[in-house]
Amino acid sequence: MRNARTTTRHKGRTTVGLLAASALVFAACGSDDTADEPAEAPAEDEAPAEDEAPAEDAAAEDEAPAGDSFEVFALFPQGTDQPYGTTYLPPFEATAAELGMNLNIVNSGYDGEQQASDCEVAVAAEPDLIILWPAVGDQVRPCLEAADAAGIPVTITNSDLNAEDQELSRAYSGPDTYGQGVSSAEMFCEFAGGEDVGILMVNGAPGNTTAIDRENGFEETINEQCPNVEILQRETGNWNKDDSQLAASEMITAVGAENIGGVYAADDTMVAGVVDALIARDIDPASLIITSIGNTFLGNPLVIDGQVDGTVFQSSSWDGENAASTAYEVLTEDPAERLVKFMPSEKVTVDNAADAEVAPEW
Amino acid sequence: MTQTATLDLGNANTDLVSRLKTGLARRTEGRAVILLVLVLIWALIWEPTVFSAYEVTLGRLALIGLTAVGLTAVILMGELDLSIASILAVSGVVMASFDNVFVGIAIALAIGLVIGAVNAFFVAVVGINSFIATLGMLFFLRGMAFVISDEEPVSMENKDFALDFGKPLIGEFTPRILIFVLAFIAMHIFLTRVRVGREFYAVGGNREAARDAGVPVRRRVFTGFMISGFVAAGAGVIVTLQLTAADPTAGSNALLTSFAAAIVGGILLNGGRGSVLGTLLGATSLALLQVGMTFRGIEADVQNIIIGLVLFIAVITDPNSIRAVVGSVRSFLSARSAPDPST
Repeated sequence: MRNARTTTRHKGRTTVGLLAASALVFAACGSDDTADEPAEAPAEDEAPAEDEAPAEDAAAEDEAPAGDSFEVFALFPQGTDQPYGTTYLPPFEATAAELGMNLNIVNSGYDGEQQASDCEVAVAAEPDLIILWPAVGDQVRPCLEAADAAGIPVTITNSDLNAEDQELSRAYSGPDTYGQGVSSAEMFCEFAGGEDVGILMVNGAPGNTTAIDRENGFEETINEQCPNVEILQRETGNWNKDDSQLAASEMITAVGAENIGGVYAADDTMVAGVVDALIARDIDPASLIITSIGNTFLGNPLVIDGQVDGTVFQSSSWDGENAASTAYEVLTEDPAERLVKFMPSEKVTVDNAADAEVAPEW
Repeated sequence: MTQTATLDLGNANTDLVSRLKTGLARRTEGRAVILLVLVLIWALIWEPTVFSAYEVTLGRLALIGLTAVGLTAVILMGELDLSIASILAVSGVVMASFDNVFVGIAIALAIGLVIGAVNAFFVAVVGINSFIATLGMLFFLRGMAFVISDEEPVSMENKDFALDFGKPLIGEFTPRILIFVLAFIAMHIFLTRVRVGREFYAVGGNREAARDAGVPVRRRVFTGFMISGFVAAGAGVIVTLQLTAADPTAGSNALLTSFAAAIVGGILLNGGRGSVLGTLLGATSLALLQVGMTFRGIEADVQNIIIGLVLFIAVITDPNSIRAVVGSVRSFLSARSAPDPST
């Protein structure tokens, strides 16, 4: 009996070994082959033209110019786990491949602590450049200082740094998140037309830099340009439709449907939840003033239908392409001043929602 | 002629071997050791950077390991503490709210102790299942972190102090790594050399028997939860200092990775078996694996698959699970081979 048990234990350990070994072999095979290739010194005479159009196709990965390669670490807080990241990554990767950048992309899942740890790994790997999409803007200073001490340039994508930290980065490309809130508020003021309106506010995830910037941009513009618009109550929608629907439903009950003249949601995914909550309470969304940000696959049809009055176009492909091309610009041209490239924040209303220039991307 | 009954005790060598066998059989770190060896071999062959950049690997180990060390005290008693991630967030936010760093640290650590005591009160005095009690505390504290911080990250007033904290103190070792090492040594001594610590095993192994043997079970539960709360608060303080700001959403990964380290380290979730050494081995394996895969450029999604696979293996190769499966298979086979009574 004892022998049998020993044999069982032995077999168990063998199983552990085999399965774990399989996992590790999987890990070895799952890596990017380019990671093994040493970074070669960039040859400026062979560099692709700066204004060369970024590749639209991921197949361009195989077309990197020979002898013109950079190792780049990308520290992102999202990836294929979010709609925006899913459509951001392909143009980012395609542009990087075209420009000869070997990418190592890390997703911290909006965990500032995880991103800081990933940054330590990135600095130790000594890449040619780090592209940082801050998970929590207030927590990236140590990462920036470590990269600076190691002589690794850092460019920022999607959400810019706090003003006091910007000197530690070489460039920013992405939306003007505060400006997006401003644009949404400007549309709201215009639709309100001087009448007293009580509104509900659905914000992004608490603590998130983009959520804070948009909220501040919207609120400060409302206070300045149309003080007749009063925020009755605000809740977080956590960037997702279900939470937003629940938050909106609760706020309608708390405030009273008769007192609500409009809603602001910090993005289109959440505004879709708001619209569902209104319909569920027999309130016609078209009777209220509703503005949002994103012009996504969820938001754009609502604008065309007249359920949402306005949104602000945010292009994930522009964001991804420019993250790569801006990094390349820093690597090859070493600009003396910090580069800043803001994504155009076009206002989308029923008048232009069907136009090809503002066709939704995510 | 009288016969004297004698008991053959065997020779000294046999005693040593059998004692060694018994000793090894009692150990629970076997799976963690095997995994660590495999990870080390993988890293040596494919990603030796994890060794040359050891300060990075140790930093990740400290990140995963600190809360896991505190959690070990609770799991050994057969309890769970799901509130550690929220304690981490609240303590960080509270600390960052004070202009004086040292006052902030003291208050944050005191809060960890108090929360641990409240958790223990619900579990040991009120009699609520620890899963439920600490789940409630998880939500309560997360909400508190958002309220205190006004839903925004709280930057530290004294940023220079915080930035210095992130720099190496001895050699390449940052204060965070040194604190983790000290916490591990202290917990190891506490659980193996101090009577109160050893009684955690008795409480986790058989609570009634422990009570009958005179172990003050209720006090031990209080001690365990307060250790867990204190260490989680310490982790919150360290993270805030390291990042110069507190984030009310902090610790989202801490809970799962802490449990993963403990489970991989061979700690029995029912309590009574395991060691903080196992937790260290589990945390080391996970840290090496994570850092190695990141260096190697393995996508985050694939990393999650591999970590999940390792956890799955750790769970299904638990000796109790294997014995249960083998027992079921034997019963099934013997039932099939037994003659059919109807014929």
